[in-house]
Amino acid sequence: MIKLERATKLIRVKGFTKAIINDVSFIIPRGKSVGLLGRNGAGKSTLLQIIAGTLELDQGRVIRKGKISWPLGFQGGFQSNLSGEQNVRFVARIYGVDTEELVAYVADFAELGEFYRAPVGTYSSGMKARLAFGVSMGVKFDYYLVDEITAVGDTNFKQKSQKVFKERLRGSDVIMVSHSASSLRDYCQTGIVLEDGKLTYYDNLEDAISAHESNMKRPRT
Amino acid sequence: MTLHSRLQRQTVKKADALGRLLNKHTFANMLANDTVGVKPTQPVRGHLFYLGSHVRVVAALLIREMSTRFGSKPGGYVWAFVDPAAHILFLSVIFMAISHTPALGTSFLLFFATGYIGFQFYQAMAGYLNGALSANRALLSYPNVAPIDTIFSRYILQLGTTTVVAVFVFSAINLSLKTPLNIHWPFILEAALAASLLALGSALANNVLFLKYPLYEKVFGIVTRPLFMVSGVFFLPDSLPHPARDVILLNPLVHVVMLFRKGFYPEYRAAGFDAGFLYSVALPLLLAGLLIFTGSRRSLRQ
Repeated sequence: MIKLERATKLIRVKGFTKAIINDVSFIIPRGKSVGLLGRNGAGKSTLLQIIAGTLELDQGRVIRKGKISWPLGFQGGFQSNLSGEQNVRFVARIYGVDTEELVAYVADFAELGEFYRAPVGTYSSGMKARLAFGVSMGVKFDYYLVDEITAVGDTNFKQKSQKVFKERLRGSDVIMVSHSASSLRDYCQTGIVLEDGKLTYYDNLEDAISAHESNMKRPRT
Repeated sequence: MTLHSRLQRQTVKKADALGRLLNKHTFANMLANDTVGVKPTQPVRGHLFYLGSHVRVVAALLIREMSTRFGSKPGGYVWAFVDPAAHILFLSVIFMAISHTPALGTSFLLFFATGYIGFQFYQAMAGYLNGALSANRALLSYPNVAPIDTIFSRYILQLGTTTVVAVFVFSAINLSLKTPLNIHWPFILEAALAASLLALGSALANNVLFLKYPLYEKVFGIVTRPLFMVSGVFFLPDSLPHPARDVILLNPLVHVVMLFRKGFYPEYRAAGFDAGFLYSVALPLLLAGLLIFTGSRRSLRQ
């Protein structure tokens, strides 16, 4: 369960202040995957960061029950002069999972071969993305945060990733930001629409999508 | 080239072995319900869980710092020990050429080493801690890495490193002396701790202030550069003439160095040493640093 209580987050940009979320309270229950919809710049990614805990609220609080991932496929935490394997060890240590198990899992999943033990700085962008996706899949979270799912690798790898991710989602939920209705339909059952600092929760994803689409027809306020 | 990579691999291996050890034993119990395959029903997360998470992250950062600090240089972390030792040797040679008798005792080497290492407990720590946050910025995108963890891991690593350097250098000097060292441990430990707390306090504030005010970082660098010259490393403040002495005693590091030297020279009286003054600077500074750091945690991750 993730609960926001009277949450307010302001973004200050050169003189003016904008409320990304304004005095919002809601609960994301455990067991249902949520799609997060909203227009460009509405603050979907910011909301995701607040849920993850990498951004602090200006007012109110977030209560998190369960283990929440970093954004899926995040590569910013890799140190380029350490090998892929060492970077994986670091993640294993901070999340308290068995290091050897995770190292073996990612070695198998990311298909980096010899490069697994080479510095991440020498990787191609595709290799880095595969490593990042492998690490994300290797740690079991209750909630996976996804900011625009991006397919990586060749067709085989894509299929494998999708299969593993779906497998993971049997016991875990996903909170997904996406502009693509079809990928939301693929993974989510419920939806949240973010508009003008207000969140509206829809039990049925289809209702959320149609609400979002009617929002999009109105001009930005 | 092969030696280079072999050495590097060795240090990395050692660090990883340490990591495995930490993972398997120390935290095994704490992690019992938090490993691969968490059940959908959640365990209650008390304070112990969060403490466990911090300990885990600090340990992981420690290993990471060890393998990256001198990452590209052959020899890896060995440099953290070699560099200060070489510095002491150089200084001693230079000052031996200038002057004939040290201000205390008969050994130049011992006189400079006691000053330099006492000072290093502050200086090396401060320099390393000031960059803790900016060097690990990317890692803060992992939600469970807290900004304070980066400071703590560097604090522990640097305290350990300077201690190892001190043990090596003084053991080596002891062998060169005619009469063995007569060491009074409480003074030495207290001086090292006080110095490291001074560094911790100022670094907690600086990590935030450097980020907010880039100009302040420049000014801080300029103002603190001559610290080495005015901290009583290669002279005794006791022997300075009257007005200069009173001024120099306002520098808390002078007191650190005096206290440190008292641990090695039983005959040294350290006139002017004032523990009360030292702590009345160190502890408020630490408190202020903590307040500034926690007060701006909102902006630290961005």
